[in-house]
Amino acid sequence: MVWALSSIGRVFIEFLASTGRLTLFLTNSLVQGLQPPYYFRQMLRQFWEIGYLSLPVVGLTAFFTGMVLALQSYTGFSRFNAEGAIASVVALSMTRELGPVLAGLMISGRIGGAMAAEIGTMRVTEQLDALITLSTNPQKYLIAPRLLAGVTMLPLLVLIADVIGIFGGYIVSVYRLGFNPAIYTKQTFDFIQMGDVTSGLIKAAFFGFIITSMGCYHGFNSKGGAQGVGRATTYAVVSSSILILVANYFLTALLF
Amino acid sequence: MTKKMTSKFVLQDIYKRFDDKLVLDGVDLNVFTGESLVIIGGSGTGKSVLLKCLLGLIPIDRGSIEMDGREITQETSLQHEERLQDIGVMFQGSALFDSLKVWENVAFRLINAQHMDRIRAKEIALQKLAAVGLTEKVGELSPAEISGGMQRRVALARAIATQPHVLFFDEPTSGLDPIFSSVINELIRNCVKELGATAITITHDMGSARRIGDRIAMLYGGKIIWCGKAEDIDNCDNPYVQQFIHGQPKGPIQLETDARHVA
Repeated sequence: MVWALSSIGRVFIEFLASTGRLTLFLTNSLVQGLQPPYYFRQMLRQFWEIGYLSLPVVGLTAFFTGMVLALQSYTGFSRFNAEGAIASVVALSMTRELGPVLAGLMISGRIGGAMAAEIGTMRVTEQLDALITLSTNPQKYLIAPRLLAGVTMLPLLVLIADVIGIFGGYIVSVYRLGFNPAIYTKQTFDFIQMGDVTSGLIKAAFFGFIITSMGCYHGFNSKGGAQGVGRATTYAVVSSSILILVANYFLTALLF
Repeated sequence: MTKKMTSKFVLQDIYKRFDDKLVLDGVDLNVFTGESLVIIGGSGTGKSVLLKCLLGLIPIDRGSIEMDGREITQETSLQHEERLQDIGVMFQGSALFDSLKVWENVAFRLINAQHMDRIRAKEIALQKLAAVGLTEKVGELSPAEISGGMQRRVALARAIATQPHVLFFDEPTSGLDPIFSSVINELIRNCVKELGATAITITHDMGSARRIGDRIAMLYGGKIIWCGKAEDIDNCDNPYVQQFIHGQPKGPIQLETDARHVA
């Protein structure tokens, strides 16, 4: 009994310690990022990496998700003669839920892992030490631009994913299921409200923060050579994916 | 040295432990302004840790480190940043930034810390690259596209780009062939001389130590066990030093059988 309690206590204390370390790391990075000098080239590079280069993967995911959503909705709704609701279901599902969550998970794999690997490699090859000796704060130079890019680029990507996903649903509904294009389009826009889109974008900004924080934190604290970098990459992807799903519930409850 | 010697660094009773591994066990050392001091010692004796303590990258557990008469172990992050402005470091694995071109690596401090115009910074970077025997064309490549020897030269050019008065070299010739090692030793010697800098080099390459150093100190068991003029090392009667410089497998130096000491 005592052994079990002490084990639980140890895990809990370690969890609190990790949370404290992460909070300090992020606070310091944000404070550093707010103070000049600002590294605009680093920021632009991150906007490019996270935003533009993630477009294909996010676009493809959204497109096929929209198509599948239309097909699956049709299967269910046709049993109740409610096929007319497909357009609104696709639009609402994409904007409120699937757009931000799927884009978040895809970006977590693509960007979170890459960030942890890049910063982790810099750690084990003494590049972070080199930055310090070159009078440059690594948190200001490396972390702050990534956090900013994550928070701003994810909503933009999700906005594009929403449009592409709805378009995927339209393609299937019109060309495979035989819906009237004008009626389908009208039904899409009749039911969708600005709040549906903005709630998804708010979620996306949070997910962007989660992905970049996890990638940067695990990479920055990696140690032990190639194995350590590999471990940091795994931790970054797994922790950000889980946190996205957990945060998604609480954000949905808040924005419902 | 006949001129009056002032101390650049004074280390007193430095201790550093990582968990149960005692790495530095009371290091005392004096580094004079304008001299080139080489610290030798076997793998895992704590040479790199000592260097990082001097740079303020690793905090010490106990002791005192003075630079120009000022205690640096208690300095604020701003004071630390200011102190590093006058220090150039060449890391063991070069530590060049992969995402930047070679010239951008050399000009890194000029652009990012001194906020120099990129065109002017590039001019200076190319001059420094030329000083270490690299062409303008190399400046446009990424670090991954050049050889290990060239990377060391770039790292040296980066270390001297802002003409610092203190230079640190961590294993500058490790992993290089003898010819490249000689080239790097010669470049380091010339750079230190031209800048009139105080240089501290960490190495276990005796050829390098003899070529670069005015004085040599040997670190063993977490302590400085011998320190003297480079030309005196062959005649010193310390059995540890003699075993090390002659590379004899048998002698008082025990090879590591556990992880008590780390690099």
